[in-house]
Amino acid sequence: MTYAVQLDGITKRFPGVLANDDVDLEVERGTVHALLGENGAGKTTLMNALYGLYDPDEGAIHVDGDTVDFESPRDAIDAGIGMIHQHFMLVDPMTVAENVVLGHEPTKWFGLSTDDDATTREVRELSDRYGFDVDPDAAVEDVSVGVQQRVEILKALYRGADTLILDEPTAVLTPQEVEDLFGVFEELTAQGKTIIFITHKLGEAMHAADQITVLRDGENVGSVDANETTREELAELMVGREVLLEVDKSPVEPGELVLEVENVSADDARGIQAVSGVSFDVREGEVFGIAGVDGNGQLELVEAITGLRDARTGTVTYQGDDVTHESRRDRIHRGMAYVPEDRQERGLVMDFDLVENAILGSQHQAPFADGGRIHWDASRDHAEELIAEYDVRPGDPNADSRALSGGNQQKFIVGREFERDPDLVVATHPTRGVDVGSTEFIHDRLLSLRAQGKAVLLVSSKLDEVQQLSDRLGVMYEGDLVDVVDPDAVTEEELGLLMAGENPDTADPAPTVDTNSGGDDE
Amino acid sequence: MSAGSGSDRSRRDTLRDHYESAVDKVTPHLVRFATTSPYERLLISVAALALSVVVGGLIVFGSGMVATCQEPFTFHLVLFGNELWTWPTTSCYDPWAVYSSLLSGATGNLSANIYNYELALTLKESTLLIFTGLSVAVAFKAGMFNIGTQGQLVLGALASAIVVVTLAKVVPGGLVGTFVLIPLAVLTGAVVGGVWGAIPGALKAYAEANEVITTIMLNFVAAKLAFFLTSSYFQPENTQSVETAEIPSYATLNPWLFPQGSKFAIVAFLFGLVLVAAIWYVLTRTSYGYDLRTSGIQPRAAEYSGVNADRTMVSSMALSGALGGIGGTIWVLMVMGRFQVGVPAFGFDGITVSILAGNNPIGAIFAALLFGGLKAGSLAVQFETGVPKQLVGVLRGLIILFVAMPEFFRMVGRRVVDPRELGGDHDE
Repeated sequence: MTYAVQLDGITKRFPGVLANDDVDLEVERGTVHALLGENGAGKTTLMNALYGLYDPDEGAIHVDGDTVDFESPRDAIDAGIGMIHQHFMLVDPMTVAENVVLGHEPTKWFGLSTDDDATTREVRELSDRYGFDVDPDAAVEDVSVGVQQRVEILKALYRGADTLILDEPTAVLTPQEVEDLFGVFEELTAQGKTIIFITHKLGEAMHAADQITVLRDGENVGSVDANETTREELAELMVGREVLLEVDKSPVEPGELVLEVENVSADDARGIQAVSGVSFDVREGEVFGIAGVDGNGQLELVEAITGLRDARTGTVTYQGDDVTHESRRDRIHRGMAYVPEDRQERGLVMDFDLVENAILGSQHQAPFADGGRIHWDASRDHAEELIAEYDVRPGDPNADSRALSGGNQQKFIVGREFERDPDLVVATHPTRGVDVGSTEFIHDRLLSLRAQGKAVLLVSSKLDEVQQLSDRLGVMYEGDLVDVVDPDAVTEEELGLLMAGENPDTADPAPTVDTNSGGDDE
Repeated sequence: MSAGSGSDRSRRDTLRDHYESAVDKVTPHLVRFATTSPYERLLISVAALALSVVVGGLIVFGSGMVATCQEPFTFHLVLFGNELWTWPTTSCYDPWAVYSSLLSGATGNLSANIYNYELALTLKESTLLIFTGLSVAVAFKAGMFNIGTQGQLVLGALASAIVVVTLAKVVPGGLVGTFVLIPLAVLTGAVVGGVWGAIPGALKAYAEANEVITTIMLNFVAAKLAFFLTSSYFQPENTQSVETAEIPSYATLNPWLFPQGSKFAIVAFLFGLVLVAAIWYVLTRTSYGYDLRTSGIQPRAAEYSGVNADRTMVSSMALSGALGGIGGTIWVLMVMGRFQVGVPAFGFDGITVSILAGNNPIGAIFAALLFGGLKAGSLAVQFETGVPKQLVGVLRGLIILFVAMPEFFRMVGRRVVDPRELGGDHDE
């Protein structure tokens, strides 16, 4: 049988790392193939080799039965392979159609001018053929992330791709967009295209793929049919040991009030009101969860609490003191830990090494500083503890944080904030981009903070995460805290409706928005 | 769907292929530049210096072929005292002679006398450039482009001169005067320069005015203000040029060890080194320095860590301005003995020095020495070899260009290249 893509014994070494170790991979034409593995398992390296970005040290690549040797992505594109990276490469002010044809513009007047009409027409035809709901004339900066991703897919198709590689395509999408994306997969494979997508989410792999290949530590540890496997089997393949997918939560008696948020409103970066009069409180030994589709005011609310944004109205009370107008630094010094949503902009200084990043936020606090001087020895010890405790790889405290993969960056930030000895932990998407084994660990830690009597405010778009960890669960929609529910009593369906802005008591429950369809399983 | 249809399309494709393969080829090199170790960077700088001499030498030689002179020079290859090869060239300028007089003009004859006049000239220039280079570097570290060091220097210089001239009337002379007036002059320069630097910092922090624009404008304001104040209030009646009265000699920085006429005081140079060490210490060892560097490279992370961005902008610009102001004080006390309008462009050269040093305070010492040596050496080249000063300027520019380019590519590399490639990261 001829495979669309066949990798034969691919080995790729980096200085000190064996990224891919004799990996075989067979992908059938017209199927969706998931490449599943933890952070650092070598998934992207393998696909970069297939796309001509890396030259493998050993092994052969066959496309449609022909042995190929790609020197650059140009060769791979010519052989019908397209890759959509995690970070889109689009020109924001240009239209969708212009982006799709960029570098291959149809021309008129003997090549003296680009043919805008033909551009729009060709892109519309292409978009219609695969059932993409994309307006060719819209500017890329005006369309949603999900549509931008489809523009990237169109770009690859326009260049003649038969096999599409998508690197963590769901990482940037809302649950609904994830579902749409998987619909696009079906449409594409129905017309004979082949899809390989990289993911570390079991649920997505099982939901969207026909075949699943699991990588661990650079090796292919098994290829299975999606229909014939279980989540438990996949998790064990990925991690190499049995994984508890359910959280084991013991009851804790809530204590004193730690955080009281009263009628807080806040604006977003553009000055548009994003949070309108939200009130809730969090006690010692309690996890208060906030669920909601990203962009419904969670970020602004959390920043108003942590001191990164002014609250327009209302008060934030922390351990009995009004801190609404206190500086960010004072709030840190009061024992407020914050795992930010944007780790690469906020949570880490990318050009600093881990020793320097270990004291980000504590640079004026003992034991890392006294009287204006920084104690780098204490900082180094702390970085090494975090690396060991939170399994940060590579475990070199002198490595720049940009050298770490996203999941490892996240583990480092979570570790730093959790080990701050805080009274309140505000954690936004604490397990985003983190693999299944580390997710388990972070959840454990969060619950042990709760057991120690810390207050936890947990914001996540992963429904099962907030549902399993929270003691009380608030739902945000368009800047309002629309309801606070008991996470054990509420169904995912009801939560989905609340997140979509509908009241489950009054709305017709039949046409449900399956908000958890992204299969966020960690 | 295939993209290639029609001949014009395929021609475009060829062009694009060239472009994309060029990008593919360049990227690994940028990655290489972005990941160089400090030791490699030093090696690269030395190699770049050598290469600039080779290229400059060829330019000099070529220019000499079109220039007119009485007698083209003859090339002698001499090894162990034996003349191996003689070549009568057609060029007027001997590159070897040019570069050796550039070097000897910068260092003098060190084996005969370490404390020679030429070296003193180099060190005089370097001393002033250390202050201005450091000033620009501090602002850079905080993420701000201080083009205004010149203005901060001018006003610092004027204020120091006024304070010393005024107080000299009440403070006793001699050693007491030296130890009271000089520190006071330095303090004045720092305060006035600092305030002048804090203005664009505050404008940026509280009015969102771009500091590049405001510092440039404040340079003009400073120059005109200095002219107005000097000519209206502080100019002695018997002078023609716009200048203040002379500072008593016990309050100036006098050459020690070096020739009297060189106007280089080693104390000032050492003071510059002390300031470099102090700034290095502040940046790398203190909480304030951590705040400042974090603001410089990632303002949003700085905010997350509790840094007050507005205050850091103002304070770092004030610090930068204070260093520029002290540069002005040193110029007055060491070089001029008074304030005079038409201050040389030490502030602007400080920008080059800082960039040459990769905005590293310690690197600024070496960059200032190189720059100062080139300035002093260029004079010697003009006098000794007859090479026109424009051509000497070209040679100087080449050296700076060559030494600065790797650093420039390193900065480009860090911006352009996918951060994940820098770490050799292999997943996610």
